[in-house]
Amino acid sequence: MKKVLLEGLAVAVIGATLAFAANALSPRGLHLNEDYFRGTQRPPASAPIANNPSANTNSQTDTVAAELKAKGLQAVDGNRALGLFQDPLYQTESIIFLDARDDQHYREGHIPGAYQFDNYHPENYIATVFPVCQKASQIVVYCNGGNCEDSQFAALRLRDDLKIPGEKLFVYVGGITEWTARSRPIETGERKSGKLRASGK
Amino acid sequence: MELAGVLARWLLGWFFVYMGLNKVLHPVDFLKLVRQYEIVNSPLLLNSIAAALPWFEVFCGLLLLAGIAVRGSALMLLVMLVPFSLVVLRRAMELDATQRIPLCAVTFDCGCGGGEVVICHKLLENCALILLACGLLTGMGRRFSARYSLFQNSPPPK
Repeated sequence: MKKVLLEGLAVAVIGATLAFAANALSPRGLHLNEDYFRGTQRPPASAPIANNPSANTNSQTDTVAAELKAKGLQAVDGNRALGLFQDPLYQTESIIFLDARDDQHYREGHIPGAYQFDNYHPENYIATVFPVCQKASQIVVYCNGGNCEDSQFAALRLRDDLKIPGEKLFVYVGGITEWTARSRPIETGERKSGKLRASGK
Repeated sequence: MELAGVLARWLLGWFFVYMGLNKVLHPVDFLKLVRQYEIVNSPLLLNSIAAALPWFEVFCGLLLLAGIAVRGSALMLLVMLVPFSLVVLRRAMELDATQRIPLCAVTFDCGCGGGEVVICHKLLENCALILLACGLLTGMGRRFSARYSLFQNSPPPK
């Protein structure tokens, strides 16, 4: 029994060492000291209703908007987001959209012209996004919508770490899920790839 | 009986390698899932669990497949399986109370590496894995082992 415990301890120590080393070396690795979920105490409610736009009841949207307000962020709904997208200032990058999702989801489809800003690997995007955010007067951050909080975390990172003024920051609560459900245009691949497709069901 | 032990060792090893790799490839998704259990408040602890646990699962799985430090690896898998099963059950009971559906109708992604699952099935699966790990702890699965015990050379059974 003692030998088994010792063996278990050896496996634990060696395994943990190798595990942390692998994480450090992996390009997908997590930064141990990073607070990825800044500004929140509790995770969102159950996942099953996460990405279904029809489940985005008014009460859920209102709740999210209230949470954003409590954190000093501003919410925009689908109509306002579309208005900002169609505003001529979007073409001059006085208004910009930031997609807070990972590479795979961004490439599968994003709001045309949106910059990517993955909250979990911000170092890959700051050099591109920071100067653009400084020049813009309005910055709309989105993710999947529903229970997705990544847009909030990204907006908080922009405000708290990069010192982007909070009054410029808006969170599109409905996210890409609502955008596509309303059959709005989607761009695939890289930003300004020119590969547009109609979204919706 | 010994063959059954070897098969149990390989099955358990393969399972943890497979599930661990699924999580290794998507560490951010796993991080979000670990967060939902509210086990720890500290970002450092949360990130450490999410960063290291998948790789540790792969490591233990590989040890079992190779037949190295089998009982120690099985013990570590038990140390992970038992408390994790309890937190999954706790989460399922919370959702059961919130959604007002039967416990065995609750589905969510438990962070096991297999996506969204029916939690009753997952808990049954974990019970089976726990039994397999306990079996290995008793000394099963020595045949075809590279080094069954780290601290003692044990010849394989005839």
